Amino acid sequence: MILQMDNIKKSFDGLEVLKDISFEVDKGEVVSIIGPSGSGKSTLLRCATFLETIDGGEIRYMGQRAAHTDENGQAVYVSHQELRHFRSYCGLVFQQFNLFPHYSILKNLTDAPIHVQHRSKEEAEQTAMELLGKMGIADKADAYPYQLSGGQQQRVAIARALAMKPEILFFDEPTSALDPELTGEVLKVIRQLADEHMTMVVVTHEMPFAKAVSNRVLFMDGGVIVEQGDPISVFENPQEERTKQFLRVFEH
Amino acid sequence: MDISTMFSTMSVGMLRSFGIFVLTLVGSLPLGMVVALLKKSRFVVVRAITSAYITVIRGTPLMLQLLVWYFGPFYLFGMNIGNWRFPALILGFVLNYAAYFAEIYRGGIESIPVGQYEACEVLGYTKTQTFMRVILPQVIKRIMPSVTNEVITLVKDTSLAFTLAYQEVFSLAKQISASQTSFMPFVIAGIFYFVANYIVEFVMKRIEKSMGYYK
Repeated sequence: MILQMDNIKKSFDGLEVLKDISFEVDKGEVVSIIGPSGSGKSTLLRCATFLETIDGGEIRYMGQRAAHTDENGQAVYVSHQELRHFRSYCGLVFQQFNLFPHYSILKNLTDAPIHVQHRSKEEAEQTAMELLGKMGIADKADAYPYQLSGGQQQRVAIARALAMKPEILFFDEPTSALDPELTGEVLKVIRQLADEHMTMVVVTHEMPFAKAVSNRVLFMDGGVIVEQGDPISVFENPQEERTKQFLRVFEH
Repeated sequence: MDISTMFSTMSVGMLRSFGIFVLTLVGSLPLGMVVALLKKSRFVVVRAITSAYITVIRGTPLMLQLLVWYFGPFYLFGMNIGNWRFPALILGFVLNYAAYFAEIYRGGIESIPVGQYEACEVLGYTKTQTFMRVILPQVIKRIMPSVTNEVITLVKDTSLAFTLAYQEVFSLAKQISASQTSFMPFVIAGIFYFVANYIVEFVMKRIEKSMGYYK
């Protein structure tokens, strides 16, 4: 088990965004999370990657506890130092890429491995070039983010996350900020990673993609997981009325 | 007194004006960053004091502030500090310009998208690494035009040192003009400020250009 989240609760200003959600990811699994906006999908990812702190529940990576609820019902996290260690388990690809505009593509990929993980420059650059090659943008190593198309920038962002050698990679609507003709190249890369059994959790609105690539699909609505299962059963034979209603919008 | 004599007499003042300019920048550019960060402190008291400082400095004339720093120690505390004129002058300039730079920095820091911080957090950067490696370089690029504005204003503001009877180029121009009944010293002073700012503009443009490799 790579990630285990139990009874996660999260509110923003009294509004419950995650209501007692439990969720786990096995090694090599590809999980898609679908659902209407405001259903808590992104918040779940942000809690899993420690960008948001949970109000209650437990988070474990590789069996080690990163956060839990104490006897007073308060969520407590491990120390800052230890949290950085937990962060090294997970990578996150943002909707808006969030590349560093002042760094070349190569430096975007090597800066954190060198300065956070203290790897040698040679090793970091070699890894970076391999990843860029895999993403089909090795020729862009010396370019700057603004010189790249959205699809290329997102592939750099994926490579940047992979350069940290995470155990699990999260995607927060990776194609939502892209022009339709550019989504394909990004989805292709994610599919390729799935074929290599990279453990991934993808929040997405691309239903055909979710259906084709994932081992498991979660449908979230109103801060709860309404339904989950293998893609065929969730997409073709949904049990819950709310799921059917949501999927109907995507037909035709 | 012919023009070349006037010029050489005033050149001492030019050096002094230049001295005020350099010392003010050396002091206020870093101090402004400290002030900007204090204004974002998590302690309410620190934030309140910093805000008050900026409001008072920006709300009163620099000329008045210079007089306060110069005469304050004596009138308020009865202190007689030897050779206080120049230190008071630099103190007044540095504290004044730091307040303006702090606001420029703050604006720059706040203009950086939150996604940059989040990307750093996920990649495991420490807070210091995030600021020094990712945020600050982008802030510097964004604030260059505003900083250029301040630096140009500073060149001209050095003339306020005449308030404390410090013999920089403007004070000398006034004195020589009065004693020689000549308009020429003012022309020389005017050319001095103009040329100085011309150089400032040129240098700042070069710096901006050097950061133009990304958007």
